[in-house]
Amino acid sequence: MEKIIEIKNVGKTFYGKENTVEALKDISLTVHKGEIYGIIGMSGAGKSTLVRCLNFLERPTTGTVEIEGMDLSKCNEKELRQIRTQIAMIFQHFNLLMQRNVIDNICFPMEIVGIKKKEARKKAQELLEIVGMSEKAKAYPSQLSGGQKQRVAIARALAMNPKILLCDEATSALDPTTTKSILALLKDINEKYGITIVIITHEMRVVQEICSHVAIIDNGVLAESGTVEEVFNHPKTEAAKKLVFRNEHTYTVMEGKRCIRIVFSKNSSFEPVIGNMILECKAPVNILMADTKDIGGIAHGQMILQLPEDTAVADKMIRYLKDRELEVEEVTGYVE
Amino acid sequence: MWSNTVIMMILEGIGATIYMVLLSTLMAYVIGLPLGILLVVTAKGGLRPNAVIYKIADLFVNIVRSIPFLILLILIIPITRAIVGKSYGPTATVVPLTLAAAPFIARLVESSLLEVDHGVIEAAQSMGASTWTIIFKVLLAEAKTSLILGATIALGTILGYSAMAGAVGGGGLGDIAIRYGYNRYQFDIMAVTVILLILLVQIMQWVGTKISQKTDKRTR
Repeated sequence: MEKIIEIKNVGKTFYGKENTVEALKDISLTVHKGEIYGIIGMSGAGKSTLVRCLNFLERPTTGTVEIEGMDLSKCNEKELRQIRTQIAMIFQHFNLLMQRNVIDNICFPMEIVGIKKKEARKKAQELLEIVGMSEKAKAYPSQLSGGQKQRVAIARALAMNPKILLCDEATSALDPTTTKSILALLKDINEKYGITIVIITHEMRVVQEICSHVAIIDNGVLAESGTVEEVFNHPKTEAAKKLVFRNEHTYTVMEGKRCIRIVFSKNSSFEPVIGNMILECKAPVNILMADTKDIGGIAHGQMILQLPEDTAVADKMIRYLKDRELEVEEVTGYVE
Repeated sequence: MWSNTVIMMILEGIGATIYMVLLSTLMAYVIGLPLGILLVVTAKGGLRPNAVIYKIADLFVNIVRSIPFLILLILIIPITRAIVGKSYGPTATVVPLTLAAAPFIARLVESSLLEVDHGVIEAAQSMGASTWTIIFKVLLAEAKTSLILGATIALGTILGYSAMAGAVGGGGLGDIAIRYGYNRYQFDIMAVTVILLILLVQIMQWVGTKISQKTDKRTR
């Protein structure tokens, strides 16, 4: 496959008055045409700086960035602007012009390169169609929701028929449902128009959802890169493991061996006895068996609970239940 | 007391004041707007950071701003005379008014432009926009509302300055107030001119706020 972005040994250091910050250290990676490439890392890892190096909004301190074989550091100002029209970018906070309506926002990149207004409008209409925002052409950004704003930003990004689309935390300000729909739109654009997409994110689910390849940036260093499958199934570095396993739930395994049997006979069905007990004692219990039913508003039946290992807590629970006038007896042999 | 002459004089005074204020505001913007843009663009972290140009512009603005207007008025009489041919009357007053207001306007413009979200500027850069395009189509266009409000403030301030110019024969309502109210103790004429000045400020403020609200697309 053809290489479209190739960065070699890129480093970026910010020199401040008192301290210098090495935001990126010796990063090399290659993106091929048509890929959806995820760059993931914790906040402050340097991924936003990295994506800005791809269109030279930030000039790398060391190393080279090549777009379709063109070394950006060798370009003059004018050539660079020309290349940037081919590398579109969308942002976490959408960055639409607030004083322009939707259609004029989409026309903006075409205005920059001097495309005729009529032509630009026509193209903008088509783009609005693609992102499903046709009826909002005359609306102003302040009247749109986050997801709608991002759709407009995507339409704007597509205006110049770019080869590459850079997404800087493009879904981080959106709720999960909107995120899903925006990601679906990006995937659609990638498939239909063959636009290479680079996605910067701190969310694993974004990468899982649409990326084919992923690079993990940790503290300004490229920790790991490869296909999403490879990196997810066999994360090699600490940073990768941290990201991959971060979202998995941790289960508390019940260790206690003490079990009790509770008999319900006079309590109201509407009193959440067990729930209240858990809230009161601030410890979980494990329901091993439950067979209760509501007869005329009174709870009848029995339940077997496995209590926490901590004796004090377990005793407190038993006392709590007894205070609620429940029959409580310890049973043995229920758990080994 | 309220003879036709006095009424005519006051009417002329209003005309002269409006003429002075509008012309000098316009002239001051001709200097102040580019100067304000220059401050924003050459500032550290601006579109074209340039410490030398920034420091010079910044110093110029601060120096002129720190000279009290009444003193500036007298200080530049030779310049005024060279440009207008005389040192009194409304047209002559426009020169010191312009010079005094330009740096003030530059600061107003600077603060309006600094309000523009950096992300939008970055977006324009990512599209390959040139510095000029960003100045005109992003900075000035996005700051439009704030610039209009700034202009309203500028008008009010320049109106105040123009009244002060009355002390040295500047013409307009301020001139009348000083000549009649201060020199001749005709309190009633002074009161009328002051009320008229207040009205003028009110009208300008009202119009400015209305226009800025009308043009603002951020809220609706």
